[in-house]
Amino acid sequence: MRRASGSEALGRVVETLKRLGAESVTVTQEGVVLSTVTKDRLRDFVRALIREYGESLRHSTCVGADLRPVRGSFSVTHVLALDCLRLYLLVETEAFGNSPKVPSLTPLLPAANWAEREARDLLGIEFEGHPEPVKLILPDPWPEGVFPLRKDYPYNKKLYETPAQVRGVRGEPRFFSAKPTPPSESVREGCALIPVGPYHPALHEPEYYELYVEGERIVEARYRGFFVHRGIEKLAESRMTINQVPFLAERICGICGYTHACAYCQAVEAAARIEVPERALYIRSILLEIERIHSHLLWFGVAFHLLGFDTGFMVMWRIREDVMRVAEALTGNRKTYGMNLVGGVRRDIDEGKASLVLRMLESVEGEFRRFCDSVLSMREVVERVKEVGVLTREDARRLGAVGPHARASGLGIDVRVDHPYAAYRFVDVSVAVRDSCDVLARILVRYDEVIESIRLIRELLKNMPKGELMAEYSDLPPLRIGLGATEAPRGEDVHLVITGRGNKLYRWRPRAPSYVNLATVPTMLEGERLANAPIIIASIDPCFSCTDHVVVVDLRTGVRRRMNLLRNALTRG
Amino acid sequence: MVEGLGKHVVTEAYPWAPLEVPEGFRGKPVIDPEKCVGCGSCVNACPPNALTLSDDGRHRVVKLFLGRCIFCGRCEEVCPFNAIKLTKEFELAASSTEDLVQEVRLVMAKCAVCGRPYATLREVRKVAESLPKNLRGLAYVCPDCRERISSYFVGFARR
Repeated sequence: MRRASGSEALGRVVETLKRLGAESVTVTQEGVVLSTVTKDRLRDFVRALIREYGESLRHSTCVGADLRPVRGSFSVTHVLALDCLRLYLLVETEAFGNSPKVPSLTPLLPAANWAEREARDLLGIEFEGHPEPVKLILPDPWPEGVFPLRKDYPYNKKLYETPAQVRGVRGEPRFFSAKPTPPSESVREGCALIPVGPYHPALHEPEYYELYVEGERIVEARYRGFFVHRGIEKLAESRMTINQVPFLAERICGICGYTHACAYCQAVEAAARIEVPERALYIRSILLEIERIHSHLLWFGVAFHLLGFDTGFMVMWRIREDVMRVAEALTGNRKTYGMNLVGGVRRDIDEGKASLVLRMLESVEGEFRRFCDSVLSMREVVERVKEVGVLTREDARRLGAVGPHARASGLGIDVRVDHPYAAYRFVDVSVAVRDSCDVLARILVRYDEVIESIRLIRELLKNMPKGELMAEYSDLPPLRIGLGATEAPRGEDVHLVITGRGNKLYRWRPRAPSYVNLATVPTMLEGERLANAPIIIASIDPCFSCTDHVVVVDLRTGVRRRMNLLRNALTRG
Repeated sequence: MVEGLGKHVVTEAYPWAPLEVPEGFRGKPVIDPEKCVGCGSCVNACPPNALTLSDDGRHRVVKLFLGRCIFCGRCEEVCPFNAIKLTKEFELAASSTEDLVQEVRLVMAKCAVCGRPYATLREVRKVAESLPKNLRGLAYVCPDCRERISSYFVGFARR
């Protein structure tokens, strides 16, 4: 076994944290250790942590909270994952005043970049020493000094009241205008900008890539997103009660929403120390695996489509349809299962439904294997994705990649194994790892995962114990911190919750896996051929939004012409 | 390869033929106006505020607006009288917003002491039925007056 036994390791970690200068160390829930550090010591503390744990320390996310009404300060909580010890370390630091400042951890852990900028945008916490202190979430023309997630900003307050205010004084658009950022000095000579996105009639979601190309080669890539940030955290904190939020959490994603509902419920259950009945945990795991299968099949379909192999796309989605039907029979809907409440699940999986699932698995496994095996033996497909979009193990580690994306770069991390939740503590999950670091590896990892999920569902159904579906509990204790992590189809999904009064949340911060994976895309794109951009962007399984239609602007002549990235991919790839 | 493609037709005839949805499908919620007592349980549970309550003194209106509904079925789960049910109906396109609204209008009960409307008559009757005969009268009194009366009796008992 590569893992030390639980309590012994935990004791050692607590000792270490104290020795390294944490003011207080508490075990807030199973597998989560909260240490508080003064902001002057924060950087030294984390530097010492990195020295102590080295490679295995992964920056997962960072959560700011406006605790002024209750504690008179802002708090910043870094979530660090120690996957090999099955632990999450929460490092909390406080900052006082109305323009709080804390030292940035980005110079030490580059993966902290986005999360810190998010706290800066939404809460006005300044991160001293951040290498890239620019807006991430809010649009560029957002007024200075307006921080929507602060408690003194009402959730239903409109930023601008009249259309004239929206238009602005000089009629300049107040919201995002796709003004390209100039390329770095080193690549400026003779390169052209290809903006991909942010809007297109066929897009599911807007995102925006700036690709600087020299001929066919991408020399620099930038990403901007968050055009659809809608402030659901604020909505949940202000208006909703704990058992309404699961349905909101589920709507974070149209593909893997259930994993968000689970992560949220786990966070609240941990904060309130609610013991979920075992049968409910099994049902959650079964549905999570069903969701993973459907999500991966969907991804295979779109990936084949982007490779110009539309037959593959059709077949994959036909196979996926069986999964959707079964999900509908189990939960009442194809997507947005709506099965979770804090404390358990709402519907049972009885014998009849279980046999329905087994029948579906039978046919899906056969069809999927037959089809994918024959596709993966086609040279045209393999050559097209081999050694494309390489993300080295080192980069994956540095940028904090998670999920199948990280596993395709040789990092054997999987929340189901590293931080077992739901019923994964009762079964053995085998983690698919590949180390060729390219798009092919990402395909193969997902292939293995579909097969593994099918096996897992069978095992879970067989071992599912009888019992209650919902735990009994009274009102929530206020101001408790809870962490919920799940392995979404795209990777680690982390929800951090601070409970409030009156069965409400004080703070809720969901962090989806694509949040960290998207940050790796520019690294993968640089040095690649433009024609490979769509499949590279798609290989992390984000939305495919902008990949099929773009505008080319030649920087030297200023000529705009339209081109079709997808067609390029087909004809030149 | 050819074997992997499969040979059967999978395209549905829908919308030219009806589409079967499974048992337990979460479709359009419908309120049974005969059963609803206007207690507001569903309104409290509804995550997107698709269900709302409004009182105009004489009547209480429970309003369900399908334009906001997320079909989670929490209303069905919490309704103490099984008055709201999710159906298998899923074709909800409508040409006007009013077609997406269901309203249940219930007469309010006035407090026997102060005359203030405090709950729907139907709810009050249901509560009265569940009480022992000698306490039934209390159901027809608003919570404020009820408190005053009961504290009077409690005080009396202590003395």
